[in-house]
Amino acid sequence: MCQTCGCAITPLGTQVAAGSESRSDRNIDVADVLQDLLAANNQTAAHNRQHFDRHGVLAINLMSSPGAGKTALLEATIVALRDRYRIAVIEGDLETDNDAVRIRSHGVPALQITTGTACHLDATLVHQALHELPLEGIDLLFIENVGNLVCPASFDLGQHRNVTLLSVTEGDDKPAKYPVIFRASDLVVLSKTDLLGLLDDFDPERAASALRGLGSDVPLIHTAARRVPAIGPWIDWLTTELAGMRWTRRISPQPADVLLEV
Amino acid sequence: MHELSICQALLTQVGEIARKRGADTVDRITIEWGPLSGVEPDLLKNAFSVMCARGIAAGAELRIETIGVTVSCSACGAQTKTVANRLVCERCGGFRTRVIAGDELRLRRIEMRVAEPHAALAG
Repeated sequence: MCQTCGCAITPLGTQVAAGSESRSDRNIDVADVLQDLLAANNQTAAHNRQHFDRHGVLAINLMSSPGAGKTALLEATIVALRDRYRIAVIEGDLETDNDAVRIRSHGVPALQITTGTACHLDATLVHQALHELPLEGIDLLFIENVGNLVCPASFDLGQHRNVTLLSVTEGDDKPAKYPVIFRASDLVVLSKTDLLGLLDDFDPERAASALRGLGSDVPLIHTAARRVPAIGPWIDWLTTELAGMRWTRRISPQPADVLLEV
Repeated sequence: MHELSICQALLTQVGEIARKRGADTVDRITIEWGPLSGVEPDLLKNAFSVMCARGIAAGAELRIETIGVTVSCSACGAQTKTVANRLVCERCGGFRTRVIAGDELRLRRIEMRVAEPHAALAG
């Protein structure tokens, strides 16, 4: 698949299940197979994850419905963390590079993937983007997925963590309506919570209850990213995840002038 | 409509296996599907009817076997059947559960015809 960076992905082998029966009756052949339909995507995702691991990058897949505030949260995150960590962003949208332009205006590298009519990012699109986005010196990579609570849930990109935003201008029953994506989340962010006082139909407790109904005990945190940003719990979660990953892998970040030992 | 992407992946897998086994026609493809796979079976069937029009699987039947959702409870140890948006333990109500069935999306079986039986299997 990829021959340009020396990281060629080996072709997906055809896996007819070991011990499966296949019978040939005259010219009829039946092959019993047990292969995930997303096996090829999953293999590319694993390859992407190796790229991230090799560079000590924590990769976050950011998902939500359109307009939930993913880009605004990233802008506030960059302002809060750019003096401590080196951040890069991959933006997924059907059209325009508006979001990448917003991110770049904060002095952070951002690569726009325009998917055309495709409703989600997949591992191959991210892999291609990585060829244009050097990971050297990057601590945190955010992959802002296409705004969509359905399709992105099925495609592993190679990220370490899935984060799903639920804005308080949506329904608080969204986790029950979109169980696949919320079940796959390592963190759920209630966004635009500064608007809660203006709304009488969003109850954070009901949102939490809907999430727990999916058998999920992941954190549910509140953020407000515009006007006066209030994103403390989100920043704490990110820094804890990054420290945890580095502790687990004994990866030493290497700032330009200091070599830290872990 | 990520079902189009999924269908393309399915047809690629089927094509590889069928060619390797020397088949020239695929009659029936069976997949296992669970509600937590994130794929809508009717949309997948629609995509299949369009996308299989050419190639080795032209005219093939797509059979979808449903696998219900089962969760295992870490509190009481029960394994209970449930639905996609209610993944708590049906016995004790605990929410610390693990999905043990219902998120499948995999190719199960291909029924095909070979021009000369076993001719390609040696390779």
